[in-house]
Amino acid sequence: MMSKKVLVVDDDPDVRSFVITVLDENQYIPLVAKDGVEGFEMIEKDPPDLVILDVLMPRGSGIRLYHKLKTTEKYKQIPIIMFTGIALNSFLKSQKVLDEFKGGEVPEPDIYLEKPADPEELAAAVKKKIG
Amino acid sequence: MEIKKILFVTKFEKLCYNALTSLLVLRKASLEHFVFLNVIEKDKVAMKRGVGYLKEEAVKLKEIANIRFIDWAENLFEMGMEVGAYIEVSSLVPEILKVVKQESPDLIVIGRSSKGTLEQLYAGSDVSELTRQTDVPILVFKHLTEDNIVPEKLFDRPLFATNWSETNKIAVEYIKGLKNVIGEIHVIHVVKDSALKSLDTHEVQKIRKSERKRLESLCKELEDAGINARAHVYVGDPQKEIEKAAKEYQASMIILGSSDKAAILERWVGSISKNIADNTIFPCLLIRSRKNG
Repeated sequence: MMSKKVLVVDDDPDVRSFVITVLDENQYIPLVAKDGVEGFEMIEKDPPDLVILDVLMPRGSGIRLYHKLKTTEKYKQIPIIMFTGIALNSFLKSQKVLDEFKGGEVPEPDIYLEKPADPEELAAAVKKKIG
Repeated sequence: MEIKKILFVTKFEKLCYNALTSLLVLRKASLEHFVFLNVIEKDKVAMKRGVGYLKEEAVKLKEIANIRFIDWAENLFEMGMEVGAYIEVSSLVPEILKVVKQESPDLIVIGRSSKGTLEQLYAGSDVSELTRQTDVPILVFKHLTEDNIVPEKLFDRPLFATNWSETNKIAVEYIKGLKNVIGEIHVIHVVKDSALKSLDTHEVQKIRKSERKRLESLCKELEDAGINARAHVYVGDPQKEIEKAAKEYQASMIILGSSDKAAILERWVGSISKNIADNTIFPCLLIRSRKNG
């Protein structure tokens, strides 16, 4: 069976290394983007099987990228694991404001991991979403 | 000209969350995106005799900054704002310029302490260097608690000092973009006392009348754009008179143009806008000519 592609969108090189290691060790193919803008470009070019998404990043935040993906027909089915230091409550409130402002209603993220997480916890979350 | 994106350069102790909240009024002028930048100066963490590169110290300082930014970002995200952050071990001005290139902000906000003279010199030179290197307008925040400026009313009563240069035309366009946040603007022109030497009273009155007319025409232009504006002519040393006018009209900030010519002069004798930005107790918005990039 072909390995599944997981896009990591995070500006912190240490976090990217950590996630890549976890993905490698669990036989997934890691793809990397440094911010929300680059992340969206990569998704447009080659949609991954899963996105692991940070929130506070330069250029484009995970808040906007999440909203964009979940309100775009073509990408709304891509599962997203939020992996961030931003509190879930703030994330949900921000999505609600964007719903009102930009239109659309986005679902809550399936999995919301607050940093830091153990490798096992992250691996289990990825496995839960894409097997 | 709209202010959609602000680059907020902070060292935390000089420019913190209350300064940031005072800028939120700019949402009425299209503000939708904050980019935070914290530069950990290299000398805080780099090579020390016998110790080497203090990576652990850098990691610690970055984490401290990150925690603050997360806290600020949560509040702003909840308001529907877009937020980004950079935390870098570097030198201040080159790092600001790097982020300006990546993010294309419409305004740079930077703090300036009014504490020690030495500190002022360093901070002042950063601001001067920035005005030389970028065309993006710069808002220089002062040490708010010491100067007793009410941050929530930052844009309520600006004082715009014009010298009729090309840069001032750009400043006028920028000010028009703030029409939804400005309560009343005071527009002043200072006639240098050297220009009045050997003139009789009649000639002095004529100069005043002519400057007043130009100012009134500028105020009319601003009022047509929806901004209440009042004209004032002052005579004397521009730096002193602008400060005096700002106090008399209880200005919330001073808006100044900074030309290329001034930037060159500044290396030798110091320009008026630089001197005001360095010495005034008021926050200063410096708008630079876009000529010659």
